Amino acid sequence: MNDAPHRLPHQPGEVIDRDTPVRFSWNGRRMTGFAGDTIASAISSNGKRIFSRSMKYHRPRGLLTADYWDPNLFVQIGPEPNVRAGHRLIADGMQVKPQNVWPSLGFDVKAANGLVGRFLTAGFYYKTFMNPASLWPLYEKVLATFAPGGEIDLDAPHELYDQRYAHVDVLIAGGGPAGLSAAVAAAERGASVMLVEHNHHLGGHLRWGDPDDLALSNELVQAVRSNERIEVLTDSTVTGRYEDNWCAINQRTLPHAVERLVKVRAKSLIVAAGLIERPLVFEGNDHPGVMLGGAARRLINLYAVKPGERAVVLTANDEGDKTVAALERAGVEIAQVVDARRGEAVHSASGSKGVSSVTLGDRSKVSADLLITSIGWTAPTSLLNMAGDRPVYNPSAARFFPDAPPETVLVTGGLAGDGSVEQLVAHGVATGRLAADRAAVIRYRLQTLTPRAIPPEGSDPDWPADARTPLGVDDHPSMFRALTHGIVDYSEDVSSKDLEAAADEAYDSVELVKRYTTATMGPQQGKLETVNTVAVLAEHRGQAIAEVGTTVWRPPYAPISLGALAGRAFDPVRYSALHRWHMAHGGVPMVAGQWIRIEQYGNPAEEVRNTRANVGLIDVSPLGKMFITGPDAPKLLEQLYVNKWSRLPLGGVRYGVMVNEDGVVMDDGVTGRLTDDTYLMTTTTGGAGRVYEWAEMWLQTEKPEFEVFIDPVTAGFTSINVAGPNSRQLMSRVTDGLDLSNEAFPYMNVRTARVAGVSDCIVWRIGFTGELSYEVHVPAGFGLHVWEELLAHGADLGVAPFGVEAQRIMRLEKGHFIVGQDTDGLTQLPTTGLASLAKLDKPDSAGKPELQWAIHGPGPRAHPVLVLLEPSDPAIVPAEACQIVNAGTTDIVGRVTSSRFSPTLERSICLAQVEPSLATPGTEVTVVLTDGERITASVKEGHAFYDQEGVRTRG
Amino acid sequence: MPRFKGKPSAKYSAAALISKGIRRTSWPRAWGEHELENRYDVVIIGAGVHGLATAYYLAANHGITKVAVLDKSYLGGGGSGRNTAIVRSNYLTPEGVAFYDRSLALYNSMAQDLNINVMFSERGHLTLAHTDSALRTMRWRAEVNKLQKIDSEVIGPDKVGELVPSLDVRPTTRYPILGALYHPPGGTIRHDTVNWGYARGADAFGVQIHQRTTVVDILVEGGDGPDGKGPGGRVTGVKTTGGDIAADVVVNCTAGWASIISAMAGVRLPITTHPLQAAVTEPVKTFLPAVVVSGSLHVYVSQTDRGELVFGASVDPFATYSMRGSLDFTEELASHVLELMPGVSRMRLLRQWAGLCDMTPDYSPVMGFTPVEGFLCDVGWGTYGFKAGPVSGEQMAELIATGTTPTLLEPFSYRRFADGNLVGEKGAAAVGH
Repeated sequence: MNDAPHRLPHQPGEVIDRDTPVRFSWNGRRMTGFAGDTIASAISSNGKRIFSRSMKYHRPRGLLTADYWDPNLFVQIGPEPNVRAGHRLIADGMQVKPQNVWPSLGFDVKAANGLVGRFLTAGFYYKTFMNPASLWPLYEKVLATFAPGGEIDLDAPHELYDQRYAHVDVLIAGGGPAGLSAAVAAAERGASVMLVEHNHHLGGHLRWGDPDDLALSNELVQAVRSNERIEVLTDSTVTGRYEDNWCAINQRTLPHAVERLVKVRAKSLIVAAGLIERPLVFEGNDHPGVMLGGAARRLINLYAVKPGERAVVLTANDEGDKTVAALERAGVEIAQVVDARRGEAVHSASGSKGVSSVTLGDRSKVSADLLITSIGWTAPTSLLNMAGDRPVYNPSAARFFPDAPPETVLVTGGLAGDGSVEQLVAHGVATGRLAADRAAVIRYRLQTLTPRAIPPEGSDPDWPADARTPLGVDDHPSMFRALTHGIVDYSEDVSSKDLEAAADEAYDSVELVKRYTTATMGPQQGKLETVNTVAVLAEHRGQAIAEVGTTVWRPPYAPISLGALAGRAFDPVRYSALHRWHMAHGGVPMVAGQWIRIEQYGNPAEEVRNTRANVGLIDVSPLGKMFITGPDAPKLLEQLYVNKWSRLPLGGVRYGVMVNEDGVVMDDGVTGRLTDDTYLMTTTTGGAGRVYEWAEMWLQTEKPEFEVFIDPVTAGFTSINVAGPNSRQLMSRVTDGLDLSNEAFPYMNVRTARVAGVSDCIVWRIGFTGELSYEVHVPAGFGLHVWEELLAHGADLGVAPFGVEAQRIMRLEKGHFIVGQDTDGLTQLPTTGLASLAKLDKPDSAGKPELQWAIHGPGPRAHPVLVLLEPSDPAIVPAEACQIVNAGTTDIVGRVTSSRFSPTLERSICLAQVEPSLATPGTEVTVVLTDGERITASVKEGHAFYDQEGVRTRG
Repeated sequence: MPRFKGKPSAKYSAAALISKGIRRTSWPRAWGEHELENRYDVVIIGAGVHGLATAYYLAANHGITKVAVLDKSYLGGGGSGRNTAIVRSNYLTPEGVAFYDRSLALYNSMAQDLNINVMFSERGHLTLAHTDSALRTMRWRAEVNKLQKIDSEVIGPDKVGELVPSLDVRPTTRYPILGALYHPPGGTIRHDTVNWGYARGADAFGVQIHQRTTVVDILVEGGDGPDGKGPGGRVTGVKTTGGDIAADVVVNCTAGWASIISAMAGVRLPITTHPLQAAVTEPVKTFLPAVVVSGSLHVYVSQTDRGELVFGASVDPFATYSMRGSLDFTEELASHVLELMPGVSRMRLLRQWAGLCDMTPDYSPVMGFTPVEGFLCDVGWGTYGFKAGPVSGEQMAELIATGTTPTLLEPFSYRRFADGNLVGEKGAAAVGH
């Protein structure tokens, strides 16, 4: 049993399970609550009223709204900071700790700031801590200790988060009477409905209402729960509405994951978020014991917790009157009811660790430990703002109303207007029907948008007009700031005085005052603070609230964990079909974008020597590959590459360079002609995705008339390069039906053949390494078989695998450049020495005008030149990216782009971009090493360090 | 260095805070309100950091005070108030390095110069490399930086882990951290305060700031284009929602709408406008001591003194003037941040927003004279405008006052697109915060 001192006897609407006690600790003290309690109600039932300390002045703070939006109920639970104690349910064994207190919640040293509050006006930190400048880092450290919030545990174990997609006809944000009615009405019209409720239970404000309210709530909930077209998500929030009703839902209660992000494409969105009760600004309005009417009723009616002993109630509406009744029922003595509708007012509240007395408008003092206010509402219009609506302020009702949201976003409930519960239900029903009918039209139009095998029946339906009877708008007293100054933003500790001072200092628009004082920028995102901020500013400037305007509500509606947004980590890792073989044979893996490649098998230099002397195999599967098929394939190739393609013979292969529209080199590779209208294009490994998108972009936006298809097939083939003087002999042992002689199958040709018994292999005679080589593209499922056959048949020929590093060395020995390494974001074609490749008499090609200008003028730009460079000391290998400078200066005239020690030449070799004046062979340049040492190097003649004439490649 | 020229009673200090607190007197307005006059020597369009700094230095360094700064909205409401407030100078080209280094120097002494605490936090700036090629680019930047005497070096994963313990530097992660470009002088600043500081400083010299005053046309005579606008023309003033203003010098200091404003004078700019999104989390106690950038993971992150994590990414890949945030941005952002720092999964995203970035082909700005006499530009600032605010203002002021282009601005002239002398900052600027 629970003997908590503030627990009331059974209440009709209570959501606690008195048979299931829950043991937990708060601030190091053991306590007991019941299943169904929130952390705050459980602590409160134990008679505690201080939950936190304010950010700046470290004033004690207690329950204010007693729900998710309560700014004073942020606690730490284990590794989780900033838990909303007014919302999160208590669980057995939970260790709940206060945040932002030192040394303790009861006695906080920084509360001394409260004594000097008059010096710590808003923005005071902008006006001091400037001198001496040398002390600023120290000041900064001290200021940082005032950062609010809990602590994260960086070593916390990984937890599972989840994501889900849903496509519904009608999505409803808010499970109060209007939302529930709308859900049932929409479902009865045949719509699929998702109903999302922020709290743990459906029913909205009916839950803490009178017996009639409870009965209606149960009835509506029953209707929703028994309708199979309605999916209900509780403890979930529609956090965002993006273009075309793309909505995000943060689902917090799940058996299998911490949280989940549900992404919904809703044909209609119904916003039934209700209203949020707004605090009043007055002196002492942040003392523990000052709370909103809704908070008191939730404590009493849902959790059977007595909020205090003796109350002053300030009421301006029915809700306030109902609060008085609820307090009386709970045995709270009503010291005074202050009715704002009769012109009565509250002046201030005072006390040391909570309210002990209340000063009324006539300055009479009433002793009380509770001051409860029900003075009006904030309309949480965030989702409507996100849909492009600009809500309008209605002064007679003292709140904002929607203006003109898109027709697929409908508003109901308190956001839309006032009325009896019956009227709210009726409006909800009409809204649900309208949303369902509009969703049906959208569904029809979606079906007819694209050709279908079976077109939907009927003709295009009319767009349903909005014939709902609008809800009324009740007058409500405009109450924002009372007779005194007080806190406007609880989580930021910003007072109305701060706002006025800021306005006086020229920060007099709502955006500037927000930025200057940080009011509305805390975790409540302005739900309690924005309207009061605007009102205080308006009053001070003698303007109307509508003139001052409001800040833009931005997503998310409620803060959402990074874990939920990220979901399960899903970034594909791509492996070659040979990966396991590599790992079993000493391969050292490396990350190459999405791909994992093999850098080496232990000794890259030896891999180079063996390939040059015998024969080597490298797995080049990640190489980008695309089939380009159709009669206009050559036209597409001419559009993408700088060179010509119209006369490529069957079986021919050509090297091509692509430039972007600035004439900057973006990719290179070989393309071969396999049949009359089938070409296979290869791209760089890193460029595969980019080139595919680039090609599709041209095809879809500029050249839709081309009859050609592009099929990216990178992973469909295992690509094996067989390189070295013995490669022909090795290939001849495993290849059927292909004459490998130089005459029948010369360099820069492509054939299809049967390799190691696998038909439909594509065999290229090309080479990046500078050796006689064949590149075999094997249907990926047979990749391992072919690889192993090649190794088995070449043992006597000295066959051995080599990795990416050996390939890089060999291509550098051969002087081949790598796009993106030896070129950069400004490298136009002439730098690479391949300007002659460009054939600009084509009707069109990507980057043609820029190339025209870059190659044939009048462009005066002096293109840097890619040259071979040999350090004077053959043992020194400069790091790649080392700068080349004019001797004796720091003037940069080039840089080393590639650099390796060549095992073949037994010396260091480099590629470098240099200014044209330094490109003449024999020129000596100065290279600055990373440690600052300067060395000399000389520009070498020609385009390759090794086999300039290409005899070995063509042999 | 210019110093704050306001009345002594307006000067910020701890002593003044205490004295005003005791005597309960209030501070004067940081900048005044004025009726729009019909003639100014210089009209600056855009009350962001570039426009306000230009106005300030015109007055402070050159005595030109008959200046109006116009903004269609509130002061600092565009990119100057939407950026992620990171400053650094470790750019890729010598031109960029020299320029941003001067900016960093001005930021360093700004609190004293403008008599407002801009909270410059020199916390160090790390650009992570997850691939060989990224590491090579980092080394390229480091080598260029070192030659320019910028404190910038490539460090290994162990050092990265020492500097920022919250980063996962194990080689087993999906995108292992292979190293980083470390730039100790880089850091963060309170961006709004910079705008306010320049506004207050300029106001003290007599410069007028007119908020909610939209320029609807730029008046040009004698140009080759329609209505006498365009090349060969001469600017005579601007038309605004508050009335017409005559001026011989009109400076376009806008971002997001730079090409639209320039078109009003008949000047075409090679600019496309893209949104750049950012987001901030709820606060937690500080744990992230440096600015961390990952180009490969398209994210940068820092923690404010208030405890919030501030995130940004690269610009959205499409051109638009919409400033609505998108869901997929936050999803991608979160997954990349958790890749770097798995421990922050329970932190909650509090707010997301977008700003507009005017992108040029070489990711460098367009500054100085245009083919219309008297119409000047300080635009095309892409994602790096805030960092460059002070130096841009200082140099643009010099250009206006002397009529000649200062050396630091020469590489960024409008002419370079015709001459082909592009400044290749793409490598350092793409996600270069």
